[in-house]
Amino acid sequence: MTTSECCLDPVRPLLLRRAPVVFALLGLLTVLMLGINVAVGSIAFSPAEIWQALRNPAEASTTSFILWNIRIPRAIAAVFGGAYLAASGLLLQIYFRNPIVGPYILGISSGATLMVSFVMLTSVTVGWTLFTPFISTLAAFAGAYAVMLIVLAIASRIKGGVTLLIVGLMMGYLCGAVTAILTAFAEKDKIKGFVLWQLGSFSGFKWDEITILLVLGGAILALLYVQSKPLNAFLLGEEYAASMGVNIRRFRLLILLCACALAGMITSMAGPVAFIGMAVPHMARLGFGTSDNRILIPGACLTGGLVASLCDLIARTVMAPVELPLSAVTAFFGAPIVITLLLKRRVKL
Amino acid sequence: MNMPANRPIISVRGLSVGYGNTPVLRDLAFDCRPGQFISLLGPNGAGKTTLLRTLSRHLSPLAGEIRVQGRPLASLPAMDLARIMAVVLTDRIAPPLFTVFEFVALGRYPHTDYLGRLGAGDRLAVTTSLAAVHALNLAHRLFADLSDGERQKVLMARALAQEPQVLLLDEPTIHLDLKHRVEVMAILRDLCRTKNITVIASLHDVDVAAKVSDRVALIKDGGMIDWGAPESALTPEAVAGLYDFDKAEFNRHLGGIELRGEGDRGRAFVVGGMGSGALVYRMLAKKGFAIATGVVHTNDLDCFVARSLGADCVTVDPMETIDAAAAQQAATLLDDCDFVIDSGFMIGAGNLANFDLVQTALNRGKTVFSLRPHEPGTPLAAGCVHCNTAVQLIEALDGFAAPSTLCRVQEA
Repeated sequence: MTTSECCLDPVRPLLLRRAPVVFALLGLLTVLMLGINVAVGSIAFSPAEIWQALRNPAEASTTSFILWNIRIPRAIAAVFGGAYLAASGLLLQIYFRNPIVGPYILGISSGATLMVSFVMLTSVTVGWTLFTPFISTLAAFAGAYAVMLIVLAIASRIKGGVTLLIVGLMMGYLCGAVTAILTAFAEKDKIKGFVLWQLGSFSGFKWDEITILLVLGGAILALLYVQSKPLNAFLLGEEYAASMGVNIRRFRLLILLCACALAGMITSMAGPVAFIGMAVPHMARLGFGTSDNRILIPGACLTGGLVASLCDLIARTVMAPVELPLSAVTAFFGAPIVITLLLKRRVKL
Repeated sequence: MNMPANRPIISVRGLSVGYGNTPVLRDLAFDCRPGQFISLLGPNGAGKTTLLRTLSRHLSPLAGEIRVQGRPLASLPAMDLARIMAVVLTDRIAPPLFTVFEFVALGRYPHTDYLGRLGAGDRLAVTTSLAAVHALNLAHRLFADLSDGERQKVLMARALAQEPQVLLLDEPTIHLDLKHRVEVMAILRDLCRTKNITVIASLHDVDVAAKVSDRVALIKDGGMIDWGAPESALTPEAVAGLYDFDKAEFNRHLGGIELRGEGDRGRAFVVGGMGSGALVYRMLAKKGFAIATGVVHTNDLDCFVARSLGADCVTVDPMETIDAAAAQQAATLLDDCDFVIDSGFMIGAGNLANFDLVQTALNRGKTVFSLRPHEPGTPLAAGCVHCNTAVQLIEALDGFAAPSTLCRVQEA
């Protein structure tokens, strides 16, 4: 008897055998959405103009300038932003074995917000005009990683995932408290800018930032994909994962570092973007019909990119020329999904 | 079995286990050999799970040494350990959207490549593991949709897919219905026999443990109070001491726990023997009567049950005819009892005296309930309260004990 005769095939139920189709569909839609995001905006261009501008990036026309300096970076940023937030959320949902966890649970957004509030609401940085265009980004970056490092330092000491969850929440409250106090003392006109930043936006990405996103984020995602085997083992909980040969201590740190790096990168550049990180992993899980991280890591990234692009398109166009806050759109999108999923209990983690 | 094969697979010396600086169990020393079924028994909170978690390296030992195949557990690489030892825990896990096959395939972790891709050998191992737990039919179901019993079997299959030599299980039969409880224990026993796997399980059923184990560890009061074959270690006294019960007794011969009654509803004398009394004793104990019985042979099932239930027994040696002395002793005991039950024992040369004993009871004015088929005109027929079934006997006793008139009406 050969092995093929005596052993079962890993056949999935018909309904769940759909990963390649979903990948193709999502890929197509994402590319389409990228195109729409480049083509559509407050200034209407004819397809011929767009084609012309795309072929000659160096051209000194308005079309070329708007496309290459505003729309294309923004469209790419939306795709990467969505992808990284989704990947980060996926990691943390696996880590905490909790479906309503997102990338901001570890205090990344609150750390970033705290530092940005220092920059935007106080006069501490008045003299630093030299760095002005980047100061918010740098502050957010510093804040996100500072809080992340504190949480990670605590994480290396404690065992339980739930404890860490609470630590993250408490860090969030602490940062929120400082931000609230700063807001109370701030001048009125500064507050509006700060509030808008807090709602996130993919506008104003520089090509340098895009490069950083691509290289750093790409490296992290590649690392994660190679780790999808221990991530799958982690679906059974730490104890089972340990008994199957996963080095838990090292792996826990790796998951947390990657999740924080991905979300921190996006948050420092785009501000906190709500709900993508929490809702998209669920959408991917249901869409691909699997919890297998070898499919879900690229799958969630693709779904995240698509969803973020769509949300950004809606934010830019629905009330044009006024731009809706991105987090408002993603919340309209994400909250019903999370509620539906929890009520139906289709997805348990 | 040759000597090297029988070398201990797990060897424990001077082990203290616990959390932080608080030891739960101290100074443990034992050897687990290939193919042995080892049960950890003890009251809740005694430290069975703590010991298992230490053996599986989820907890660090506070002192002492654990060696696996002669190598120190502490320094074993995680992957090596995963190929030797697999666990089935009590955590309720339900990873979404996993088929049973995929779930069991996760157990191939220590054998697959860096992406966890399954080769033909892996698929064969998954299939064999599912077959070993009689769960091939579940392969394409979703794991999250399984019942408790099915899930437990699939969890065991996942552990087996690791192709371990040692299987650690924490309360493998808890929450399971009777069918799955029996099935799981049978599967585990088969694994020991056919795959030579060492099974170490914490169990809460002493009777089941006694029937499947090669070794039992009795765990209580911060240590292992005994370690040995269940046939020698599980004495009634040891079990009663282990679980601190005084209203019950573990009987090795019956292989089960007998629950004693309160004994405050009056005293019954059962004329039994030949196994006819066992159910009656249990029923009396359940209903709260104190029990005396006689005359039974010491190798009689009735004698084992009655003694386990704490009854006063008048006995004679096996195969002996009941002699006058025993009969006299029984009659004396009978005098102190509130009523008498004739269990309907078969009558032969050896126990004719019991027949006379019932007559004596009637003569002395005792109420006699009889389970003997009622045949008017035969001796004993008159004067007895006849109950055709155990249910009728219970009803009659309830009437008798709550001093109503039921029995007197029947007597009249």
